[in-house]
Amino acid sequence: MWELLVINPMVNLLLVFYNLLGQQTILAVAALTILVRLAILPLTLRQQQASQRMQKLQPELQKLQKKHGKDREKLAQEQMKLYQEAGINPVGGCLPLFIQLPVMIGLYQGIIRVLANSPLDLLRLSQNIYAFIPGLTELIPLQSTFLWLDLGQPDPYYVLPILVVVTSWLSQKILTPATPAADDRTAAMTKQMQVTMPLMFGLISVSYASGLSIYFIISNLVTMVQFLLIRQRNGKESKS
Amino acid sequence: MKRIPLVLLLLFLVVAAVLSGCGGSVRPTNWTGLVVDDGVLYLADLDQVWAFDAETGAESWRFPRDSSAGSYGPFYTIVLVDRVLFVTSYERKSTGIFARPPVGVLRTLDADGGYLVWGESVERPGEFVAPGAAANGMFVIGNGDGNVYAFDAETGRQVWEFSTGGRVWAAPLVLSDTVYIASLDHCLYALDLATGGEQWRFTAGGAIAAKPLVLGDAIYFGAFDNYLYELDLTTGEERRRFQGGNWFWGEAATDGSTIYAADVNGTVYALNAETFQERWHTATGEVVRLGPVLSADGTLLLVGGDEGTLYGLDVSDGFVLWSREGEGQLGSIAAAGNMVYISRILADEHVQAFFVENGRLAWVYPEAEE
Repeated sequence: MWELLVINPMVNLLLVFYNLLGQQTILAVAALTILVRLAILPLTLRQQQASQRMQKLQPELQKLQKKHGKDREKLAQEQMKLYQEAGINPVGGCLPLFIQLPVMIGLYQGIIRVLANSPLDLLRLSQNIYAFIPGLTELIPLQSTFLWLDLGQPDPYYVLPILVVVTSWLSQKILTPATPAADDRTAAMTKQMQVTMPLMFGLISVSYASGLSIYFIISNLVTMVQFLLIRQRNGKESKS
Repeated sequence: MKRIPLVLLLLFLVVAAVLSGCGGSVRPTNWTGLVVDDGVLYLADLDQVWAFDAETGAESWRFPRDSSAGSYGPFYTIVLVDRVLFVTSYERKSTGIFARPPVGVLRTLDADGGYLVWGESVERPGEFVAPGAAANGMFVIGNGDGNVYAFDAETGRQVWEFSTGGRVWAAPLVLSDTVYIASLDHCLYALDLATGGEQWRFTAGGAIAAKPLVLGDAIYFGAFDNYLYELDLTTGEERRRFQGGNWFWGEAATDGSTIYAADVNGTVYALNAETFQERWHTATGEVVRLGPVLSADGTLLLVGGDEGTLYGLDVSDGFVLWSREGEGQLGSIAAAGNMVYISRILADEHVQAFFVENGRLAWVYPEAEE
């Protein structure tokens, strides 16, 4: 079911873009990443709106934390009351994330499937291509060389892993709210995540196909641009 | 408060350990190969190369003796030429997070004892996905780096190389003084065996991973554009083509009057070699990558499914006479005498021997633990 509903559409869209964009794998990956991000934009907007509203409540939440820090039950009651008054569902921001996550995982898996570096991977790909779209099967295997890279192999000079770490860190930095978190525990976790996640993506990039690193970089750039555009638009709206 | 950073640190360490190769057994990139000759079955089986008594499954020798030494393999393809086994593997020469990509390695082993023959193994940047072929003292093989290589079969010294526009994942066919070999660049090449000079090339609509088949003055192969082609052997000009339901990956087989081929949708076709018209087709219902193999007496067509089933089809009408399900993908099939042998990957049973007549299991290696 996952293959049918998620992987197959991703694989075939990627092949269509590959065909339309001069058989350039990197351009096809970029186009598909942007398309998927646009498709889930309404969800992203909802998630960011919820996040911003939560941010606005942070000073109030911190006050409650100081006041009822020792009485967890009371603190929870007061926090819920505050959310209700502000008309916020504290887990409402997670729902769009839960819908986005499978799509992003599907995109990642689709890219890996199409790059098909080994014979076993290529055989699996044969089952994902739509027969009703003419010309797709003839595109296999995709052009896998770009500059010094073989997109099916890790970058031998570690340029892409470094770019993955840098763009992941920047993306995390931009997305992290400027307002301090309600408690020390959350703040510490956020800080750790900002360092650990880029490093983990960097490690993955060192060991896996450089096509995947390209996807990470494009995805990070798209995330940053999207966030900045949304923030700009929200800024204009609040001024007016 | 200290617990959360610790969890993240542990997560980081686990990812680092997995990526550095501490994750345990090898994840195969290719299928394992086997060859049967003179009552002995030779198997290139990831960690080791094995020689078994083909009738009983008793082990004759293995290389390396100790698989935990870790300096060889995983082994994938194997060919026997004049009592010498040409074995390929795809090996990491360094380990750790910053390890270099693996390289394709070609070695020769003495078929009688499993000892190394060449002083040094041959290494090339890409994977040797398909086995090579030998003739006139030369061993020809394709590589994932896009080249076809010819080596002196006795010493391993490179005689020539020929560059194609894509990875070479197909086995070559050597006929008198010509090498016929396909590439994923959509071309089938005819090369001079002595020099590697191109005699002709034919461009198909899709990539080609199949070893070609020769019958009379024609050469046959399937491609990823879903067609099975018939070309003139001497000029490479297309004569006819037959459309299947999906890619043709494996080599076609023939009994002289019929061409047998299977597409990756699992449909097996029998075509009249004279008219190139379909005689029958049978759908197995599972992905089929391997080409069909004729039993030694020519009465059965043996087909391996990617979900692990071995089928015995009646060559006259494609009727499935028997089928044997199993765990793991089929790596290769070989028929000899009244037996059919298969290798498997991603399975507990690495090699199995069946009686061709009824598909009854004769022996298996390794045997299931009680």
